[in-house]
Amino acid sequence: MKKIKYSIILLVIISSLVITACTNGDLETPNPESTITDAEVDPDFESTEPIEEQARLLIKAEPDLIEPVTVLYKAFFNGESPSFVQNDPDLLVAPPGEIVDLHHELPAVFLNDGAMYPQNDNEEIEAFIQFAVSVDGQQALINAGLLPESIDLTDQAGNIVSINLPVRRVLSAYGPVTAMIYSVDAENRFVSASYLGARDPLGSSVMEKVDSRFPDIQGNESFSQSEFNIEEAAMLEPDLIIGNARSGWLETVAALDVPVFLYDAETSEALKEAVLLTGQIFGPHSTYQADAWVRYYESIVGSIEEKMAEIPVEDRVEVLFTGTEPLRVASGDMFQSYIIETAGGISASSELEGYWNNINLEQVVIWDPDVIIVPPYGGASVEAITESDEWQILDAVKDGKVYRMPKLVAPWDTPAPDAVLGIIWMAQQLYPEQIDLDCSTEAEFFYNTFFDYEITDEEIAKICSIN
Amino acid sequence: MKRLQKSAASIKEEYSIRKVPLYLILIGLPLGLFVLSLTLGRYQIGPIDVLKVMLSPIFPSIAEGIPDIAIQLILRVRLPRILAALLIGASYGATGTAFQAIFKNPLVDSNILGVTSGAGFGAALALLFFGDQWLVQVSAFVFGLLAVFLSFFGSRLYRSSPLLILTLMGILVGSFFGSLTSLLKYAADPLDSLPAITFWLLGSLNGITWQNLLPLIILTILGLIYLWVLRWRLNILSLGDAEASALGVDPTRMKLGIILFSTLMTAVAVSASGVIGWVGLVIPHAGRLIVGPEHKRLLPVSISLGAAFLMIIDDLARTLLPGEIPLGVLTGLIGVPILVLLMRRSRTGW
Repeated sequence: MKKIKYSIILLVIISSLVITACTNGDLETPNPESTITDAEVDPDFESTEPIEEQARLLIKAEPDLIEPVTVLYKAFFNGESPSFVQNDPDLLVAPPGEIVDLHHELPAVFLNDGAMYPQNDNEEIEAFIQFAVSVDGQQALINAGLLPESIDLTDQAGNIVSINLPVRRVLSAYGPVTAMIYSVDAENRFVSASYLGARDPLGSSVMEKVDSRFPDIQGNESFSQSEFNIEEAAMLEPDLIIGNARSGWLETVAALDVPVFLYDAETSEALKEAVLLTGQIFGPHSTYQADAWVRYYESIVGSIEEKMAEIPVEDRVEVLFTGTEPLRVASGDMFQSYIIETAGGISASSELEGYWNNINLEQVVIWDPDVIIVPPYGGASVEAITESDEWQILDAVKDGKVYRMPKLVAPWDTPAPDAVLGIIWMAQQLYPEQIDLDCSTEAEFFYNTFFDYEITDEEIAKICSIN
Repeated sequence: MKRLQKSAASIKEEYSIRKVPLYLILIGLPLGLFVLSLTLGRYQIGPIDVLKVMLSPIFPSIAEGIPDIAIQLILRVRLPRILAALLIGASYGATGTAFQAIFKNPLVDSNILGVTSGAGFGAALALLFFGDQWLVQVSAFVFGLLAVFLSFFGSRLYRSSPLLILTLMGILVGSFFGSLTSLLKYAADPLDSLPAITFWLLGSLNGITWQNLLPLIILTILGLIYLWVLRWRLNILSLGDAEASALGVDPTRMKLGIILFSTLMTAVAVSASGVIGWVGLVIPHAGRLIVGPEHKRLLPVSISLGAAFLMIIDDLARTLLPGEIPLGVLTGLIGVPILVLLMRRSRTGW
């Protein structure tokens, strides 16, 4: 039976080849292979016979990318076939290439080596591109065997997690990763998400503008590091659950029989890995976004390190990162310490271990930090330190070097993509003379590129006010 | 076992004979520890320098040459904190003794009417919604008093056997506020307010400043004087209401006064330090082992031992590690074995 089927298919292909050969390189051929041959044989052929209005979009594609584009085109335009041209295309399809200039719009990447570049301003092109990078586009490519059906990734708890692709319904119970999923442009896959820093007026107003489904998909009450409402999770039918590796509910969630992907990103390297893993989970477009973020992060860190090389170690600024109360400080294991060190400072409390540590003022006096930072959450305030009589004995307080780390949505001191702005801000505070990065420029670029959000001047003023 | 009992009895005898040295010890022990504590801390300051700094208000020239930061640390950080440990320890020792007398029960302390649970809820509420140190203290104080008020007037709803009903109401109100606190902890953000609430509930003298020490000093000294004056009547109350009435004491009014003052003292202590368990329970027992159950002597001993115990505990809490150890952890770890030991040793004379 099968043999007969194959021979029929073969026959159809051969006959279509013959037909195309006879029509002398008709560009509307349904078979991509023939186009390649024609293109190779006669590079100028399309100028001899311009195509007419039957074609919706004229596409110029690299030979390898013709098949996937055809798959996408057929899926989007209900089985219609694309028209490939060499000159004046509406849409150019080519490998995304190296990310060189970050301050440029990123292309729409639908395969690891295929990206779309619109050549005309046209709604239909835009819609097609949107489709190509969407979950349905990913599905079409998977159906055609051009993208894998599943992926095995090692999460940050060391487990190998097998994930069926595409991931359509993701449940994030960990705020920093929720921010990462926004950064890799996969937020439309959320069925519910726990947010970080979206409770205060600034955070919630921005989130409402960034995502029309916010706050409906906010699941902070049901899903967090300590809580996991398993019945509600079952109702949401997720096909992937995301959590922190140190969550308290890891045993119970096994009952759902849904893959669980765990994160533990308390270092600079782990944060980069976390963003890259997040990209891989959601497909080529997200992978490219993740790469772009890592590239941006590394370029920022690199430029700061370059400047820091000129500053001798003994002139480095010593920084104390306090918590929601002045006498609670970040340990050396925490991301806050990495931010300080990456920004060229020395973390005063790096000898401490674990999570936030309660300490007494004598210990602060022994450390004698040059700068004190308070976090942008939990009622922490600069005034709690500067207006306290007891703290006046510290030079940092006398010199007025107590600053509050800013935030837009996710606090900049957490292992979220926004942490890159935390590093820039910190470096600017510690070495205003040496660092030539500008918080407002970078914040504008960052939220535009990774959150697709045009930050307002008012918000810029709030987060980048010079202390 | 017999030998142990004998030795306990002989110690008792010895001290009752040599009364004067005992009182010297009772005053000397907290005072000595107070001075010693001032020299202890993460920041190294020599004992001589500490003494000079302490004397500097009288002889201003004496502290010359000592770094300003050391002076500031002693006067602004160590002094209020150690004073707080002394006062709170004394307060728990005294109120524990008084409550054990009026409830005729060696297993109660001033928390039996729910003051700590109420204060804990008040503090958690303020930590969750405001996070301001001063508001936390006020809220803890108010809710501590509210809890005792509820226990006291709740027990009036029921006519007979008031003491038992009062104990029961105290336990009920205590667990009610305990549940409310758990509710707040459940609602609290695990990244910020939850650790603050947990740490508060374990007790710490870390945040003590002169400003929040003031109400503690006033109420504790007032309360201690009140209990001191009435200390012989505690003997009568511990006999029972009928006996007390027969001896010309109005037991109800008396108890009301003692409960009121003890509650004020406990509420102000809890609001300043968070929940520090076991001191009020263990210290009176230790006192009984030394001077016997007679309240005229037991109360001063409990005050002295309570102050000394909490100063030692706090010294450990602030010096052992770079991080602070919660007081509730240390009092439990050290207080419970002591209590068990005492209960084994001394079988008579509560």
